[in-house]
Amino acid sequence: MKFTPIQLEDNINVSKSHPLSELLWLVGGLILLVGLTFIVLGVTADWAVSKTPVKIETWMGKLALNQFPATESAALQQRLQPLLDQLPLDSPLRQYRFRIFLSETPEVNAIALPGGNIVVFSGLLQQVKSENELAMVLAHELGHFAHRDHMRSLGRGLGLAVATALLFGENNAASELASKALLSFQVRYSQAQESAADQFGLDLLTKRYGHAGGATDFFSRLAKDAGNKLPYILASHPHPQDRIEALQRHIKNQHYHLKKTLPLEEDLAEPQ
Amino acid sequence: MEILLQNFDLLIFLILIVLGYSAGTWAEKRHYRSINKREKELIKLAVVTAEGNFPPGRVADSTLVSGSVVVSIDYFKRLLAILRNIFGGRVKSYESLVDRARREAILRMKESAKKQGASMIINMRLETATIGRSANKKKSVGSVEAIAYGTAIVMNK
Repeated sequence: MKFTPIQLEDNINVSKSHPLSELLWLVGGLILLVGLTFIVLGVTADWAVSKTPVKIETWMGKLALNQFPATESAALQQRLQPLLDQLPLDSPLRQYRFRIFLSETPEVNAIALPGGNIVVFSGLLQQVKSENELAMVLAHELGHFAHRDHMRSLGRGLGLAVATALLFGENNAASELASKALLSFQVRYSQAQESAADQFGLDLLTKRYGHAGGATDFFSRLAKDAGNKLPYILASHPHPQDRIEALQRHIKNQHYHLKKTLPLEEDLAEPQ
Repeated sequence: MEILLQNFDLLIFLILIVLGYSAGTWAEKRHYRSINKREKELIKLAVVTAEGNFPPGRVADSTLVSGSVVVSIDYFKRLLAILRNIFGGRVKSYESLVDRARREAILRMKESAKKQGASMIINMRLETATIGRSANKKKSVGSVEAIAYGTAIVMNK
């Protein structure tokens, strides 16, 4: 037998497709898969939350409150009560016993903890200039309770952690990737929650004072320091400017009036 | 700037992907160029998997020759393979890796045979092994080893 050496030009052992196009397909598939999981889990979690009695939430709230060194504030409670009085009699918020706390933290924030506890940071109080603004912040937090947002986020977070662990196995590179993809879905959802709470707050503020004055003042002050919109793509809250625009749209649609705001009363105002 | 610091792990992940893709592609192209060139140079040296059968007196010397190589995956190939683990199908990103390892191993074996003045290699065998077995688990790097071995034959002139 004669040996004839031939150099093969074509390589059948390596696929011809471009690796970047493969990456595109696979990432697209992953996003689709994760998105579907997110929707299914979201619906399940929302259903479970709607069935969870307020009692269980109150018990969880007690555990959560231990993490915040805060004192109950009578001055804030005084401002919360008129807002609560505006709620319709059949409102689910009537089942809560609201308590409001003041925490000596420079952070400009307020949080709604499960079970009707609201923590306001002193950094936020220093920024607030009028009674109406403060009422807007408190009404926004009440909006989170009305939509049971903390319970929903908790339910979703729990469901997603279990789902990714079950689908891809624990401590696996694939589950890490999936959770990174999930992050973007979660951020969208969280921003939607904030906007919904803003709207609820605006409606309640208007009921309380008869006009929507001061609704956007606080966000305008935040917007000055907020800067670029780009970082807000991955933030839990929308950019203050976007919140202002959404509120103004709502004010226009509902034909709310804008009147002069009341300055912050002395018991909370900063000593000059 | 703040957004970069807040999403530091995401940033590192993206940098590693881009680095893995560019460096990996560059290294692979270079390797294939070298493989093609050397295969052409050594094409006269026959390699067969059959057992040789030679008339008495034809073979001057016969020795065992082997060539082995380890090729590592890069971050980008690993990402594609991880995604494949979810959906199934051909792990295309690893195909070129194994192909390069096998051809390089054969080339190294041929080079060592040529040094000994052999004119052919018979009874060639190829084996592959993985190094870093659970490469798709976190924090581990996978590599493929290919070893080619055979009997180099030096003929009497």
